[in-house]
Amino acid sequence: MAATATGPFGFAPAIAVFPLVAFVITLVFGRHLPKKGALPGILATAGSLVVSVVMFAAVAGGGEHHTTLYEWTSGAATSETMVEGIEFTFGILIDPLSALMLVIVSLVALLVHVFSLGYMNAEGETGLRRYYAELGLFTFSMLAFVFADNLLMAFMFFELVGLCSYLLIGFWFRTESAPSAAKKAFLVTRFGDYFFLIGVVAIAATFGTVGFAGEESFVTAAETAIDDGTTLFGFDAETWVTITGLLVLGGVLGKSAQFPFHTWLPDAMEGPTTVSALIHAATMVAAGVYLVARMFGYYALSPTALAIIAFVGGFTALFAATMAVVKDDIKQVLAYSTISQYGYMMLGLGVGGYVAGVFHLMNHAFFKALLFLGAGAVIILMHHEQDMWEMGGLKDKAPVTYYTFLAGALALAGIVPFSGFWSKDEVLFDALAVGLEQPVILAAYAMGLLAVFFTGFYTFRMVFLTFHGEPRSAAAEDPHSVGWAVKVPLLALGTLATVAGFANLAPVAELLHADITFLEFWLDGKYGAVEGLTYHAYHETVAFEEGVIGSETTTMLLSAGLSLGLALAGAFTAHTLYNVPEPSRHTTKLGGAYRVLKSNYYQDEYQVWLAEGLTLPLARAADRFDQTVIDGVVNGTSTISLFGSDRVKRIQTGIVTNYAALLVGGFIGLLLVLGYLGGWFA
Amino acid sequence: MAVLELPDWMALAPALILAGTALVLFLIDSIEPHSTNRTLLSGTAVAGSLSSLAVAVWFTVAGVGATGIENYGVIDIMNGQFVVDQLALYFMIIIAVVTALVTVASYDYLQDHTYQAEYYSLVVLAATGMSMMAASNSLVTIFIALELTSLPSYALVAILKDNRGSVEAGLKYFLIGALSSAIFVYGVSLVYGATGSLQLTRIATVLESGDGAVGEMGGLLGLGILMLIGGVAFKTASVPFHFWAPEAYEGAPAPISAFLSSASKAAGFVLAFRVFTTAFPLEATTGIIGVDWTLVFAILAIVTMTLGNFAAATQENVKRMLAYSSIGHAGYVLIGLAALSADGGDLVMGAAMMHLLVYGFMNTGAFLFVGLAEYWGVGRTFEDYNGLAERAPFACGAMAVFMFSLAGVPPFSGFWSKYLLYTELINAAADNTVLLVLAAALVINSALSLYYYSRLVKALWIEEPLLDRDRLAQPTGLYAAVIAAAVMTVVLLPAFGPVADAALEAAAAVVA
Amino acid sequence: MCVRFEPSNVTEMNDWIAIGALALVGVLIPFGMMAVSYLLRPTVPETSKRATYESGEIPTGGTRIRFNIQYYMVALLFVVFDIETVLLFPWAVAYQDALAADIPLVRALGPMLLFVAILLVGLAWAWRTGAVQWARTPRQLESDRP
Repeated sequence: MAATATGPFGFAPAIAVFPLVAFVITLVFGRHLPKKGALPGILATAGSLVVSVVMFAAVAGGGEHHTTLYEWTSGAATSETMVEGIEFTFGILIDPLSALMLVIVSLVALLVHVFSLGYMNAEGETGLRRYYAELGLFTFSMLAFVFADNLLMAFMFFELVGLCSYLLIGFWFRTESAPSAAKKAFLVTRFGDYFFLIGVVAIAATFGTVGFAGEESFVTAAETAIDDGTTLFGFDAETWVTITGLLVLGGVLGKSAQFPFHTWLPDAMEGPTTVSALIHAATMVAAGVYLVARMFGYYALSPTALAIIAFVGGFTALFAATMAVVKDDIKQVLAYSTISQYGYMMLGLGVGGYVAGVFHLMNHAFFKALLFLGAGAVIILMHHEQDMWEMGGLKDKAPVTYYTFLAGALALAGIVPFSGFWSKDEVLFDALAVGLEQPVILAAYAMGLLAVFFTGFYTFRMVFLTFHGEPRSAAAEDPHSVGWAVKVPLLALGTLATVAGFANLAPVAELLHADITFLEFWLDGKYGAVEGLTYHAYHETVAFEEGVIGSETTTMLLSAGLSLGLALAGAFTAHTLYNVPEPSRHTTKLGGAYRVLKSNYYQDEYQVWLAEGLTLPLARAADRFDQTVIDGVVNGTSTISLFGSDRVKRIQTGIVTNYAALLVGGFIGLLLVLGYLGGWFA
Repeated sequence: MAVLELPDWMALAPALILAGTALVLFLIDSIEPHSTNRTLLSGTAVAGSLSSLAVAVWFTVAGVGATGIENYGVIDIMNGQFVVDQLALYFMIIIAVVTALVTVASYDYLQDHTYQAEYYSLVVLAATGMSMMAASNSLVTIFIALELTSLPSYALVAILKDNRGSVEAGLKYFLIGALSSAIFVYGVSLVYGATGSLQLTRIATVLESGDGAVGEMGGLLGLGILMLIGGVAFKTASVPFHFWAPEAYEGAPAPISAFLSSASKAAGFVLAFRVFTTAFPLEATTGIIGVDWTLVFAILAIVTMTLGNFAAATQENVKRMLAYSSIGHAGYVLIGLAALSADGGDLVMGAAMMHLLVYGFMNTGAFLFVGLAEYWGVGRTFEDYNGLAERAPFACGAMAVFMFSLAGVPPFSGFWSKYLLYTELINAAADNTVLLVLAAALVINSALSLYYYSRLVKALWIEEPLLDRDRLAQPTGLYAAVIAAAVMTVVLLPAFGPVADAALEAAAAVVA
Repeated sequence: MCVRFEPSNVTEMNDWIAIGALALVGVLIPFGMMAVSYLLRPTVPETSKRATYESGEIPTGGTRIRFNIQYYMVALLFVVFDIETVLLFPWAVAYQDALAADIPLVRALGPMLLFVAILLVGLAWAWRTGAVQWARTPRQLESDRP
């Protein structure tokens, strides 16, 4: 807690407070405001962006900020590691990671607010006051989550963003599907958060602290415990760290839509596309991955947990990419690609590639927000038609949308030199390096690599179907026009998606031996950082060995070439199949696999079965138990009490001789008991 | 303060003032027999009880009876026949407060009543006895005070001579009372026989030194102690000596029920606290009689609170419900004696005393509300009380306060005293199974009690009235007493610090 | 009654002799009175005089009969004086010694005067409220009212 609240960091709380104020203003006065409350949101997010940039600059200038704002409760309990007392606080931690994330979140939030003017206001949606209020609340929660300095505070805002997500998915609550999707998203993520909460409690009970940073953090405490060989709750320290880490990971998997909790995200596309861009692509879904990065020091202590993260990430990347291949709805494709891309980030973090993971997180935020907003623009163009088979030939009619969308697609597919290439390549390189020593990681790497091909394929399938060929419907013949509010965010994000990769040109740096891996320096605390929360510190902690094929440079080039080649192969396949004037579905080529893919590997089915076939009967049984046994006991107690009361009442007969007899009888009873105990009759 | 210059016997002033008030009332009645000048009679009684209260409070504040200050210590009167210490003054305050409330309320209740002067003088005489009991330090004075309390009480219960219920209740009360007094006085004689002394401190000295043949008379002494407990149990309406209470409370005029269930009960408890902490030091007594006498109180407490609450649960008659609830509360307070064997027992006793003070307000208030209902003539059962809140929101609000406070619902004082009793009990019960059972019984019974207390509140506030009522009169005296009791029930909470300190100090002083 | 035995000068004299003498006196007094009465009174036979209690109560028959409340009133008033006597005796015995020991008159006399005064208040109250008036039937009460 070196930094005090002076200087630029004194303004840190404002980052979150601005959107909160906007939320309140919109909620109270939204009806009377011009643009139905969009303006407060835009101003607030712009303000947040400015302050975030100031923070970013301050960190770049060698600063860092860690302070406690408010202690809301404290306890005196002694933890497992003999720490006396525990404090639960709200605090702010601004280090390179959170400063970067603050800029990303507030930037995307600002752009989405602006885009909403075109997407929501111009389209004459109703309920805009609610929409902007909820966006404001979301932005507030997300920003507060990002700068949270302890796990409990993070959890609270994690839940709050979940709530906002629920509200916004169900924005069109009069339809049948939106409320259902909202509930699904809420329940699935809540299921993961349940483990998260247990994890928070376990960590608090174990280490007596929930802080992320500093000497008092649970990360440091866990490290000490492992070094000392302490036994925690009957496990040795490392196993216990793994267990608690995996519990927290439950929340991460739910929020970041990783297998098997990914099923809610495609359904969440029922929300407005702007919401999908902001929440279900760029920011909230990133919260899970961000949390792993935030407490990376903790996961770094447990190779098992890391391996699980990596494997789940790699698997999800491939798994989701295959499903995206057969989707017809443009937003569905993007949804599955989002799941897949977060799989890459998890893979990157899981193999100890902290920089790679965060790098991809950043790039993905830009290009996926771009793609979603682009999809939003397409939807406007198409008069709210989302089926790609109804589109086609939009390339010439909406050039801005097309070129920005293309930039995003190239980034997503991982084509050099767009941003996605650099970060995905780095993830895969890190995975390969570790994988050469660890078979499990190698498998994860292989899956990630294979997913590159599918990514390239579905991305360009989407591009070709949407923009190329001949128009396949009346709407596509005569698209609706889009305004500046749509184009400006697209252009801004398009630029970022193109150039953001230059923040960390690791392969180039390796080849030219130039110091241009800025993001690595940034995260390594070259400019300013909280001690212990740096890439180097993490790297030393991670127990993985790294191998090379030939030399490091060879390995890197091999990895980069492989992934680029696969991506191009995918794109080329898509080109062959779909970049024709009259594309056909080509579904028969997939044979039986088509049905499986189209049904999303029956993930929903088994989860519905879990809910209906397993949980529901269990709940019924529990209900029956409650109705009969518990209620029976409760009712029985009252019946017995009342019956007893009735009996007791009858002792009072009203006849005074009975009283005298009972009185004397009672007295003699007491006398006998006491006399027996006291031995008076001996 | 001028206390220093006063002769020692003036320390009994709170009781003496009451005695004087009773005589003045007799004189007034002698001068003008069958006077119906209610203002004069009631005013005299109220003035007497208030001055008694004022003097007792003044003494407490001035530090009479407080230990550790020069010249202010415990005052012995007539060679230790009476003692004025914090405990005595604390209970004198409770008694004076209840007496004041009851006499104020009686002003309206006794409208058109034949025996005005007799009523007030008997009330004040009984209060004198109770006040004396608080200061009595010898089995003889205790017995005299006990009888001085009991005899007017019998007459007061039966004072509605044309009401069969009242007369029947009075006779039953008298018969059970006579039996209990006999048992008590027999106990006194046995204790005297075993120890050769009637003065409490001397009894303790004998027991501790083991002088004479006391060591061989364990059974005799034990029986004597048990009989003394019987006498106490009668006064406090504890099982199995409780039989008079439901009948007497139901039959008696409501202010008298309030008086008996609050003040008389408090007097019974001060008697118990005094006798058992002073005369029978635990270790010495246990060594002689072979059994820990707190066990008796533990048994009595459990049985009393359980029986009281269970019997109250299904009563249809409000006054009878309150009567049983009052038995239940006696059970709670008995815990204070049952816990004396444990470490921290003095704190439990202090908490029990606090509960008595709070109880003095809330229970008196509740009975006075019943008096108000009798004054209105609305009937006696829960159903008759349905929807009264529409007509008399203030009084019914006060009644709700009493009920919730009796049930121990926060934030009312009854909650705090019961909570304190419970926490202190748990603290003391560290390794004492009996006390843990007591704590469990306390919790279970409190939960049950909420049922029937809230039933009454529900009747008052939620149920629809059975028949349309005209506007209800608002008798000044009754209203004033009920509202005053309600206000005290609420504001005793902020004042809880000083009250708690006073009770804890008093308890610690006698236990030590 | 209070009987005091002076320690006897005649050491050989048995205590029982005194007790016997007392018993003798106790028997002689009632019989003597009855004898004197028999000698002095005129003989006027009458039915009510043959009853056990001339006050009118018949002591035979069932127990569930009503007594006139007036008996209790008189008895209670008697108790007042009885108690007074019981307490006056020991006081009277100690009074001279107290004065001899220079205890102020107020302290020696005061408490007893206060005690008697309290009893007097009681007696006055009883008198004034009609405790010593013969109980009347409701009809008599009716005729008294103006």
